[in-house]
Amino acid sequence: MRASSDDEERVNALVLRVAVVVLTLALPAWILLSLVVVLGRARYERKRREPISNALSARTTERLVRRVSRRPRTEWGKWRRVAALIRLEQAHHPAMPRLILPVLADADTRIATAAIRTLGDNGDEWAIDLLISALRSGNGPRSRIAAELERLAPAPGPKLVPVLRDSNPAVRFWAATLLGPYPELGESSLIALTWDSDPNVRAAAVETLGSRSGAAVAAATLASLGDPEWFVRVHAARAAGHVLGAAAAPTITRLLADERWWVRTAAKDALRGLGTEAVPSLISVLTHEDPFARNGAAEVLQDVGFVDFLALDNPNSPLLERIYAAGGEKLREAAEARVESIAAEGVRAA
Amino acid sequence: MMLDVLGMIVLVCLGYFLLTNVVYVALVAVAAVENGVRRHEAASQDYDVLATSRFTIPVSVIVAAYDEETAIVSTVESLLALDYPEHEVIVVNDGSNDGTLERLRDAFELEPYEMFVRHVFTTEEVRAIYRSAARPSLVVVDKANGGKADALNAGLNVARFRYVCGVDADTVFDREALLKGMRLIVQDPARIIGVTSHLTIAEDPERSMAAPEGRRPIDRSPFVAYQHLDYLRAFFNNRLAWSRLGFMLCSVGAFQIWRRDVLEEVGGYSRTFTCEDIELTFRVHERFLRDGRDYEIHCLPDNVGTTEGPDTIRKLVAQRERWQRVIAETVWHYRGMWFNPRYRNVGLLGAPFYLVTEVLAPAIEVLAIVSLPIAIALGVFDPLVFGVMVVAIAFLNAALTACAILLDDLQSRTYRPRDLLRLLLLAPLDLVLYRPIIVWARLKGSWRFLRGDKAWHKFERNVRAEA
Repeated sequence: MRASSDDEERVNALVLRVAVVVLTLALPAWILLSLVVVLGRARYERKRREPISNALSARTTERLVRRVSRRPRTEWGKWRRVAALIRLEQAHHPAMPRLILPVLADADTRIATAAIRTLGDNGDEWAIDLLISALRSGNGPRSRIAAELERLAPAPGPKLVPVLRDSNPAVRFWAATLLGPYPELGESSLIALTWDSDPNVRAAAVETLGSRSGAAVAAATLASLGDPEWFVRVHAARAAGHVLGAAAAPTITRLLADERWWVRTAAKDALRGLGTEAVPSLISVLTHEDPFARNGAAEVLQDVGFVDFLALDNPNSPLLERIYAAGGEKLREAAEARVESIAAEGVRAA
Repeated sequence: MMLDVLGMIVLVCLGYFLLTNVVYVALVAVAAVENGVRRHEAASQDYDVLATSRFTIPVSVIVAAYDEETAIVSTVESLLALDYPEHEVIVVNDGSNDGTLERLRDAFELEPYEMFVRHVFTTEEVRAIYRSAARPSLVVVDKANGGKADALNAGLNVARFRYVCGVDADTVFDREALLKGMRLIVQDPARIIGVTSHLTIAEDPERSMAAPEGRRPIDRSPFVAYQHLDYLRAFFNNRLAWSRLGFMLCSVGAFQIWRRDVLEEVGGYSRTFTCEDIELTFRVHERFLRDGRDYEIHCLPDNVGTTEGPDTIRKLVAQRERWQRVIAETVWHYRGMWFNPRYRNVGLLGAPFYLVTEVLAPAIEVLAIVSLPIAIALGVFDPLVFGVMVVAIAFLNAALTACAILLDDLQSRTYRPRDLLRLLLLAPLDLVLYRPIIVWARLKGSWRFLRGDKAWHKFERNVRAEA
């Protein structure tokens, strides 16, 4: 009994000791953290009301330049360097071209991305050159470099044409993509790239050609519809719709029977874009042996309003029955429901 | 003998308390670093470029809706209004018994259309697909009831884009939610396969989100304010640290961005668990780590939206017991990952963390609730010592909560300063006013897990103020 009582005392003493230690640490911590929250927020609100100025004092500039020039070891230090770089950029510091280079070369893509964004904000000739050089060397994510170059359009356009001949297919891909907003530049190189050994480059080239016109462009786009890579055919289908208009409808309609789902989807999108001009071609595949081609054609006929037109104008038309047969019972039900609601609206309006 | 056992139980409870809180403090330290890095990163981000660039990856947003007539229109409105270059919104009406579909039909001028979609995932029957005459980027799928996972899978079948974002139908989103969620992914889409972000809670999310940043109120009801604190601790003290340590355990159902090919590879959302989000996150980890692949799943500190919080104890218990069940189901299902070095930090830290702090917690709590009063009554445990210990735990809890409030405020500066002060003052009373409800819910959830109950037990939606 004595031993048991000693044990109880020991347990109580241990728990009390732990409780006191925890309380001694936790209570001041709670008070301190609460003060940090309240005072920190008050300071933030005060600073927010002050007028914003990008001008830096000589001392601050010197401190920021020192921070950017240092080689930080920790991730935290790298972000402090980025913050300093952004402030110097906002103040248009003349040494920016030199200061930004090590940040742009950082192995951490998030740090390099921050430098890329800063170059985009700057937008000077040297910044464009650095962005194109980063695109070539792969410093930072190329998609982010491309986004910055695109927002600086039209300045980078002529500088992108030589990049189409880069030995790295990833660089050729981005150069071809970025030439989208420049219809007057690099046409022959882009047409040549539709035969590139890399399918990503072929896809980018045909996508960019989709915003252009002319016989050579049309021929290259049509040829790409038969590309062995499915994603090149996806871009080619969309491009052909834009370049050739209704003339491309029969060729694009053939892609409704493509072995790849995404090519069929792209063909449907392109045909939808052609509107009622695609109707004759679509009707011709309503009895196609491939069920995907049949229901794809019926779906596009529905989407361009042809089914509703027939259902309202001539509900007993054999053509409408053929479309329903190709599209299935749900297509018929949906069309009937739409027509019913159009009729009801007509009655209400009357 | 009994006295010895009671003494042992007191020591077990003390040991458990010390172990879990040392872990929590360590996680807060890691979370603080992660929050700082993300803050710098967000400050260096140009959302205007992301929002207008054609190189920003398009996203399909999928909303699973079951009996959501009170919230669905405002949720969809907020999703359609997202500031993002290209996104589609797919609402899946999962056989609702209320007027969810009618509300959508009226608000967005829906018309039935047949769409031939890929059937990658088998789901309950799709009854009809609607498109909006007014909002071309909206698609509504009406299907037979099959649960949230089934509804999300039906949405995946319709989704056109490479990334999908699963969201809850009771959440109102910030206009920049997708930009904030995708900002990391666009930098490294090959490696970052999943992202979730911080959500807050309110009784009436529309009203809360209508207030400008910096002046947003926190519900006056302490009941909702405590839930708000719970969310802050979960996101800022835990998930940010998990993210940094490479074991993000839960991409939350209210906002989860995934690369679609990953979902297709792992078989989509599972219908065999009570909830879909934690299990899916574990399944993705399990697959990628088993194959030794390089990948990242992250939780960001940016506030992307406000979700509806239960406004009664009954509703809160229903929600939290479900969460407890799914954690127990998932941790048990993936028990092969526990302490297994093949699964790196997920197996060595993440799964054991959930096991100790979530799955075993109700057992320890029952042990404490039953035995401590007996120990006090029998004189084994001094009531004064017990009282000091309770006060110590309350302030430790308050200090951890204050850390979460600080990290959130540093990140977003969203809330009114006076509301922050109120939260800080409420924090020490969390242990006695709010925690007992959660303990009860966890006990109930654990009991239902042991019985194999997998029902959703959806709580009724709060009554909203008239617009």
